[in-house]
Amino acid sequence: MSTPLTHPPLAELLGDRYTESPFERSFYGRDLAVVPPRLAALVGQTTPDAVARPRTAEEVSAILRYATGRKLAVTPRAAATTAFWNTVPLSGGLTLDLTAMAGLIEIHKARLTATVLPGTRWADLDRTLQRRGFTVLSYPTSAPAATVGGWLCMEGYGIGSLKYGGLEGHVCGLEVVLADGRITHAPGALEAPGALQVTGFAGSEGTLGIVTRAELVIRCTPAAIGHHLLAFTDMAALAGAAAKLAATTPTPFYAHFATQSYGWFLRRAGFASAADGALLAITYDGEPDEVMLGARNVKQEAARWDGETLPETLAVREWEERFLALRLKRAGPGVLGAESWLPVARLAEYAADVAKLSVRQNLPIATYGTVVAPGQATVMSLYGCDEARPLPYLLALSLTKKLYDIAFRHGGRPYGIGVWNTPYLSHALSADELATRRARKRTLDPLNILNPGKVYAPPRLLWPPTFKLGMDALAGLRRMGRGWLR
Amino acid sequence: MTPTAPYTGLEAEARICAHCGYCQAVCPTYAAIGWESAGPRGRMTIAAEAFRGGLADEAAQRIYECTLCGHCREACATRIDTLAAWLEARRRLADRGALERLPLGRLRDNLRQAHNVTGDPTENRLIWQEDAGLPSARLNGRPGAAVVYFVGCVTGLYGQGRSIAQAAAELFGRAGVDFTTLGSEEWCCGFPYLGLGLPDEAAAVARHNLAAVQSLGARMIVTTCPSCFHMWRDVYPGLLAAPTGLEVWHASELLARLLGEGRLGLAPHPARVTYHDPCDLGRNSGVYDAPRAVLRAIPGLELVEMADARENALCCGGGGNLEAVNPALVAEIAARRIAQAVETGATLLVTPCQQCKRTLATAARKTRARLKVLDLGEIVRQAMDAQAG
Repeated sequence: MSTPLTHPPLAELLGDRYTESPFERSFYGRDLAVVPPRLAALVGQTTPDAVARPRTAEEVSAILRYATGRKLAVTPRAAATTAFWNTVPLSGGLTLDLTAMAGLIEIHKARLTATVLPGTRWADLDRTLQRRGFTVLSYPTSAPAATVGGWLCMEGYGIGSLKYGGLEGHVCGLEVVLADGRITHAPGALEAPGALQVTGFAGSEGTLGIVTRAELVIRCTPAAIGHHLLAFTDMAALAGAAAKLAATTPTPFYAHFATQSYGWFLRRAGFASAADGALLAITYDGEPDEVMLGARNVKQEAARWDGETLPETLAVREWEERFLALRLKRAGPGVLGAESWLPVARLAEYAADVAKLSVRQNLPIATYGTVVAPGQATVMSLYGCDEARPLPYLLALSLTKKLYDIAFRHGGRPYGIGVWNTPYLSHALSADELATRRARKRTLDPLNILNPGKVYAPPRLLWPPTFKLGMDALAGLRRMGRGWLR
Repeated sequence: MTPTAPYTGLEAEARICAHCGYCQAVCPTYAAIGWESAGPRGRMTIAAEAFRGGLADEAAQRIYECTLCGHCREACATRIDTLAAWLEARRRLADRGALERLPLGRLRDNLRQAHNVTGDPTENRLIWQEDAGLPSARLNGRPGAAVVYFVGCVTGLYGQGRSIAQAAAELFGRAGVDFTTLGSEEWCCGFPYLGLGLPDEAAAVARHNLAAVQSLGARMIVTTCPSCFHMWRDVYPGLLAAPTGLEVWHASELLARLLGEGRLGLAPHPARVTYHDPCDLGRNSGVYDAPRAVLRAIPGLELVEMADARENALCCGGGGNLEAVNPALVAEIAARRIAQAVETGATLLVTPCQQCKRTLATAARKTRARLKVLDLGEIVRQAMDAQAG
């Protein structure tokens, strides 16, 4: 005898695109982060009670109307390529899997924009556009899986952002379904205080509404592209060269860096690294003379900062492997880490402090990142862990907090909030910005059904004073016991 | 093929899996079903967690719904040899009696009893010769022949496959290739056994087939089936723990060589043709250029590529024994590929694989696509016939 459904109207609406099957639901309680089940259970009910896969804005609207009527928590999710639990429920409820809403709807050649569905993967979108002579302005470093809606709901900085800015600046308009089921458009459609604008929606992590369509600025496929790879003996020189190149015309399309420890990690994972030192990969695209001018700039800065120019074949390989940072996981088998915004000018000091932490804790830490705006980078520091060994895992978890502490000391802030970065809210957002965001949330989702437990306040387990105390204590314990923990 | 990291075992690789979803983006099964459980990262979760305790039938079903197309292996950010993982998962499931619980027992029994996938008497492997009026006595088991044409189960035993064998035999004959077949001594290559999770039985048929070829003294094997080709060239040495000592060619490679040497004359054959890369020939064996070279050698033929081709080619759905587990899923996957073929404006879809031909031709008919599906050898024979005419 089959179990009666909890939400029959949703099953009626979506047919076989709705499930309450315990087997199917069990796959929707995680993202990239590997969290031991016992620890996850302390945070909340991370397995949804039901999963729905809508195909249209109208279906999303009907689902949200139903959810609002029953105060049912709704967790939007697409490829789930983050590690902050942005897409993991904390109180069961309904997970809205938006991957079925995928595809390019239209290219508007005259104004160089494209209208796309939210579950469209960046790599798919770009491939489709390139067949027609166009390309996107930027895309995430997880482009093979990450979706348009997903990246927009994060901060939207990655490959191409240095030259073209963050994703929110490329969005001409959004169709959004609000918590009460209204299908609306941003910017401009809502005139009330706290009105939804693209800028407010970007980075809201699915807490304000469900993006069901986006119009994005695109560009013609560049005529030329050039890749360069420089090796440095110290990070200060790398940071100097990166800052200068990022601020010089032509602006690189992509500027990626990695510390020497990243190369070590890569080799330990079984892969080749281009050189032994710290690496700076620079890519220019555009008209041939722009790309040529970029090459000249790279040459100048390499000479000024004593960087070694590596062969073009290695530069091309770095470019081709730009989506493969997670290869490092082979050295794990698990990885933990911290991703931060950081001033490029402080990159060397950050790397030096991370190196000190690495020595103190007797733990290799790989650092890499992307210059995403003149003077600003997103930086990831990763270290190995093994979630199958609960005590060492728990102690290792504390080092994430230590990495954020280092980033904060150097003017950094977390990239993305979700659940796990809520203890750092005061570093992520100013008091005014947080108040504005909370007010917007109250206006647009007064019942707090959309992605509850994320962004605006930490869950009890992560209450900052006790969280910080606990993490520091664990880090201290780990440091004392680092010999037998290995 | 994208190099993978050395395989370290199912649980270990499942823990290395980053859950990045790159695999999911390319998985034909996930595209059709849509639930996380149906994609490779879902299967990795099953592998990591479910084998610790009992394994529900729905989890086993998901493991066997994979077409073994290898696309996830190309995409994997942590360079997991996912095909090795799926085969290990199936081996362990078969050990736990999953074949009886899923509709796979019949396929296994056919293989055990008749040494082929259909369960037909082994003499039925000769029907394609009889239908073409070919002299079986001279064609089969001829000692001293330079080449053995390994026909394969689907080519030899299914109606849609027989014309492929007939075309191949005619082309090889006209080009002066000194070839023979194993006739009724040919057994399944073992690929379906591997897909079922029965590698020991795959090794047993490999030993039989190799002994049969060695008894004739041939030094070269040619197959029209990409899976047989992959087994003979890449899998048999591992299964047998020794090199076979044979040169292994796919028919597309041999045809490209024969055409290059001028041993086959072709007349103009004006047609707009698109080409489907079989997974076991392309992604899993690295043969992309030879079949395209054959098509380009046909005067007047216009080759147009589908949106996803070569390493990125979509699977037709016909692999991995999926047809035995979930035939409706095969149809759905194949329909997606047919839609891509139709987009090219081609009127002919050519593939050098009998299983892809069967699957895609069925999908073309069901979706009412105005597209004829042919094997590579069949279109070459048509061009040759035109010249002869």
